[in-house]
Amino acid sequence: MPAMVSAAQPVQRSFNPYTENGGTILAIAGADFSVIAGDTRQSEGYSIQTRYAPKVFRLTDKAVLAVNGFAADGNMFVKKVRQRLEWYRHAHAKDMPIRAIARLIQTMLYARRFFPFYVYNILGGIEEDGTGAVYSFDLLIYFKNQTPAPGTAFPKHLPLSTVLPLVIDSFTSATERHIEVGDGLEIYIVLSKGSTALQSLQTIRGIQELTATNDGERVFVIRRELKKD
Amino acid sequence: MNSFVERYSATSAVGQLRKAQRLTEEEEEFSDAAWGSQAGFGNIMNGPPSFTVPNVRDPAAFLRLHTDDHADPNCRIKIQHGTTTLAFRFQGGVIVAVDSRATAGSYIASGTVKKVIEINPYLLGTMAGGAADCQYWETYLGMHCRLHELRNRERISVSAASKYLSNLVYSYKGMGLSMGTMICGWDKTGPAVFYVDSDGTRLKGDLFSVGSGSTLAYGVLDQGYRWDLTDEEAQELGRRSIYAAGHRDAFSGNTCNLYHIKQDGWTFIGNYDIAKMHYDGPGDVPGAPGGGYGYDVRLAAANSTEVAAA
Amino acid sequence: MYKPAGFDFSNELRNNFLVEKGLPLPKATSTGTTIVGCLFKDGIVLGADTRATEGPIVADKNCEKIHYITESIRCCGAGTAADTEFTTALISSNMEMHALQTGRKPRVATAMTMLKQMLFRYQGHVGAALVLGGVDSTGPHLFTIHPHGSTDKLPYVTMGSGSLAAMAVFESGWVPNMERDQALILVKAAIAAGIFNDLGSGSNIDACIITASSTEMLRNVEMPNQRVQKERNYKFRRGTTAWKKEDIRSLIVDEQVTQVGGDEMDTS
Repeated sequence: MPAMVSAAQPVQRSFNPYTENGGTILAIAGADFSVIAGDTRQSEGYSIQTRYAPKVFRLTDKAVLAVNGFAADGNMFVKKVRQRLEWYRHAHAKDMPIRAIARLIQTMLYARRFFPFYVYNILGGIEEDGTGAVYSFDLLIYFKNQTPAPGTAFPKHLPLSTVLPLVIDSFTSATERHIEVGDGLEIYIVLSKGSTALQSLQTIRGIQELTATNDGERVFVIRRELKKD
Repeated sequence: MNSFVERYSATSAVGQLRKAQRLTEEEEEFSDAAWGSQAGFGNIMNGPPSFTVPNVRDPAAFLRLHTDDHADPNCRIKIQHGTTTLAFRFQGGVIVAVDSRATAGSYIASGTVKKVIEINPYLLGTMAGGAADCQYWETYLGMHCRLHELRNRERISVSAASKYLSNLVYSYKGMGLSMGTMICGWDKTGPAVFYVDSDGTRLKGDLFSVGSGSTLAYGVLDQGYRWDLTDEEAQELGRRSIYAAGHRDAFSGNTCNLYHIKQDGWTFIGNYDIAKMHYDGPGDVPGAPGGGYGYDVRLAAANSTEVAAA
Repeated sequence: MYKPAGFDFSNELRNNFLVEKGLPLPKATSTGTTIVGCLFKDGIVLGADTRATEGPIVADKNCEKIHYITESIRCCGAGTAADTEFTTALISSNMEMHALQTGRKPRVATAMTMLKQMLFRYQGHVGAALVLGGVDSTGPHLFTIHPHGSTDKLPYVTMGSGSLAAMAVFESGWVPNMERDQALILVKAAIAAGIFNDLGSGSNIDACIITASSTEMLRNVEMPNQRVQKERNYKFRRGTTAWKKEDIRSLIVDEQVTQVGGDEMDTS
C-alpha cells in the first residue's frame, strides 16, 4: 500500500526565502577620502523590477554602506543598522565611528549565522584618525583591507581625481558586458576633515552635498546615467 | 520521530537555540543595545549570544541547502575555504605564519585577509575554514579571556582558552560551523600550541598546519624543524613554509603574515609578498638566505649561458 | 550486439548521472533574445535584437539573428545559438537543393515543414525557437516554430525571452494592411521594447523587409545603445612588463637554395 505510506509521511518542501537581485557595488579608499558606488538597477531573472533602487546609503557623515544581493534582506538590514546607529546617537550624543560600525555590522550578520541575511556589504568612510577606510563583508563577517606594512607590497593610495574616472569607467564597462548592471550610477564620496581632494570635486557636473553635521567630514553624491538595455 | 524528539528536547543544539531564542524574543530589539553601546555581543553576563533560526523542521539542513558549495556549485551563499596556516613551538617561543588569500569557489575574493586573530597580547588564533566562524568565536573567546583575568587576577592559560573554545563549538556540533584553528600563546607553562576544530577535536602539540595548503607547508616544516632553532631560523622556516604552500596551492597565496610569541607576548614580524619571495626573497630580514626562494634556484642552470650553449 | 532502432540515449543517461553527482554540464551560448515578425500589405517584416548571452554575461554585442534561408525566405532564431545557426544553415542548403531539383522558387511552407520535421525528430534537444517569414508564389507567410516541432501561422509573432515585451507592442499597434514604413516602425518599436525591458535582449535592431519583388536586409537599422566614451585611457605604458634577462638572437639564417626545374605548375 504505497499510497498509505506516502500519505502518512509528511512531505518536506524546501524553504527558499532568497532570490538574487543583481547589480554591482564597489568602494575605493584613498589617503583622506573614500568612494563608494553602486548601480541602481534591480532585477530578477530576465526582468527589471525597477531602474532606480539605491544600493548605497549614507549612514553618518563618516560612513556610507553599500548593500548587494537579495534586495529585501538588504533594505531590512540597512534599516536595522540605521536604527542601531540612532540608538547610539541617543546614548552618546555623537556618531558611531566607522571602526565600530564595522564591528556592529559583523555581529549583526553573525547573529543570523543559521539564517543568513543574503547580502554582501561594503562599508566605506573615514576613520577617527582621518584616513580613508573600506570594509568588505561576506554574508557573515568582515575583512578590513589590511593596511600597508613597512617594507610593503601593497599599492599606494590613488588621488580622487584618478579614482572617480576609474569608478565611472568600471561601471560603464560592467554595463557593456553584464546584463544585470545598468540604468543609473550613484557615487558617494566621503572626505575627511580638510581634505585636499575637495578642489577636484568643485568642477564635477551635478554633484550634490549630503553633509548633515559640522564635524568636518563631508559627504557628496554624484549621479550618472548608464545604458538601459 | 527523531526530529520530533529533537524539536522539543532541551538538550540538543537546535533545542537550545530555540530556547535561547524564546527567552530573548520579547526583548530582542529593545535589549540593552537600545540604552548603551554594547554593539551586538549584548551583555556578556547573559551567556552566549542567541541566533536567529529559520522556522523549519531542520535548520541545519536549511543552512546546508543554502551554503554547501560542494553539493551544489550554483547555491547562492558561499562560505570561504582554502587557506594555509601554521604554528609551531620551539625553544624561543611560538611562530605563527599564515597566508592572506580568501577564495569563494575558484574566485579570489581577497588577497589581504588577516588570518591571524589577535585575541589578546598573549594569545593568537589562526583562521581556516569558515572565516566568519573563526573571527566571531575567537573574538568572543577574547572577551572571555578578559573576564577570566578579572575574576581570577591572572591570565588564562592557553590550555583553558582553547578548551573554552573547543567546548563552545562542540555545543554547536552538526549545525554547520566550520573552523580549523590553532590557539597559540605563552602562559605559566611556557609556549603552547593547541589545535581546535569545529568537530570538537582539541590537540596539544609542537607543530601544526591547517588548511588546503597544509600538506605543502608540512613538507618544508618537517625537514627544517628542530626544538633548538634560533629565533631567526624559526621565523625563516615559517616564512619559507607559507611560501611553499602559497606557491603550489591554488587556494593559498598573495602574502604571508608572520608572528612570533615570546614570554612578553606576541610581536608582528612582517608581511611578505609570496610572488616577491619567489623571485627576490623576503628582503633584508634576519634569517633570510638572500635571493629568491624559487626562481633563481630553479632556473640557475638555464640562465647560465655556458650550459645553454653546451 | 543488439542495437535498438531510433536514437541512442546512453550519453543522456550518463550525463544525467554526472549532473546528479554534481558535475555541471558545459553551457551552450543561448541567445536570450527578442525576435519578431509581422505581416503588412506587401509582405513580411522580420526583426531581431543583436545581443548574445552566456548566463548573465554578454557574449556578443552585435550578433546576427536573422538567418538566410532563400532569397525571399528568412528565419530569425532564438534559443541555443549553435542550434539556430546550424539548423537554418542546413535547411537553407536543403532548400537550395530543392529549388534546383524542382526548378521552381521554393515555398515558405516547405521550409517550415523541413524545420518542424527536423526539430520534432530531435524531440526538443535541438533548442531552436524560430520565426520564419517569406514571400512565395502563394503570397506572404509568417510562422513560428517551437523547439519541439510545433508551428503557428499568424499575422504577427514574437519569440525569445523578450517575446512578451514585443508582443505587448504588437497587440496595441498592429493593424491589417499596413504600409511598409508603418510596419517597419512597429517592428522597431517591438524590438526596442525587448531591448530595454528584457535583460536577455539588448544592443541594436536588425530588420528584414521581404516583398514579392525584393528582400531588404536592414542590418543595425537602429543603434540606440552605442558605447559611451571612457573617462580614462587604459593602454599599458611601454615597459610595464619587467624582465629578468634580455637576449637578442638573429633570426636571419643564410640558406643556399638551388633551383630545380621551372616555376610553372605541372598540369600534364
